[in-house]
Amino acid sequence: MAPMNEQGQWIVMLGFIISIILVFLALIVNQSALVGKTTAEGVLEFPKAQIQDIREEIMEYYWNGAIDDVNLMSDTRNISMEKKGAIINYTYDPISPFGDFISIHYHDGTTDYYETIEIEK
Amino acid sequence: MVSDSGQIYTIEGVAAAILMIVTAYLVVSSTTIITQQDVHIIDMQLEQLGNDALAMMDTPDSFGNNSTLASAIQVNDTTVFQDTFLDYVNAYTVTGPETMRYNATISYRSSTEDIQTFIFNASPYYRENAVKVSRWVYLPYFNNTYYPEQSDMRSGNQTVLLEVLLWRQ
Repeated sequence: MAPMNEQGQWIVMLGFIISIILVFLALIVNQSALVGKTTAEGVLEFPKAQIQDIREEIMEYYWNGAIDDVNLMSDTRNISMEKKGAIINYTYDPISPFGDFISIHYHDGTTDYYETIEIEK
Repeated sequence: MVSDSGQIYTIEGVAAAILMIVTAYLVVSSTTIITQQDVHIIDMQLEQLGNDALAMMDTPDSFGNNSTLASAIQVNDTTVFQDTFLDYVNAYTVTGPETMRYNATISYRSSTEDIQTFIFNASPYYRENAVKVSRWVYLPYFNNTYYPEQSDMRSGNQTVLLEVLLWRQ
């Protein structure tokens, strides 16, 4: 049996290593497209600004004494359903003498948000 | 049988190869690969900017007063709205070009139980990449004589939805 040729082992091994590194880098570049899409879309999809906005609005009604105004409730409900496609519902329970309870419900089809605020007197 | 001649030569070759690979890696990793789906990041930043500007305008300067936004909408003052909003949205650290434009519409519930919308203040829109931000505005003791074209707006306590379409020129 002829002796094995042991020349060129370095070059062959480095060639293998470099091709594996290239495959790994190609995988990273491929996955980066999906990562960029899903994180930014997740931020856009969650209605953070809408929920903060409606909470501020309802608390403004409360501090202006207009929390049980039927007109404001109809305005909020109808405009929200028509223009933003979201359900906004809030109720006011003055359970004296403990305090006032305001419960807020916001649902835009993807995110469902419930909140109960207790304001002690 | 191992020959120990040419060791410095070999070490120099290996070191040069490692240096070249590290340099190539640094160059490639420092560039950001923008793909088609990254347009969502730009939209998200624009939406955050618009929401923050409207939130600032809807906050009263002192307790018990109306906010800038509510006052502007109560008396149909489009100049104050435009100046304040563009001021907030075009804020740069150095003087830069004013490149933000917007379309503002107001939706209200009319006296006949319909939802009507009208344009509050607008620039011409030629299909740029735009985002829509909105803000609920509480108008206490609203007087509908300031809006002669919208004859079916109710007077008294009212809530309207202000929607602003925002884009970079």
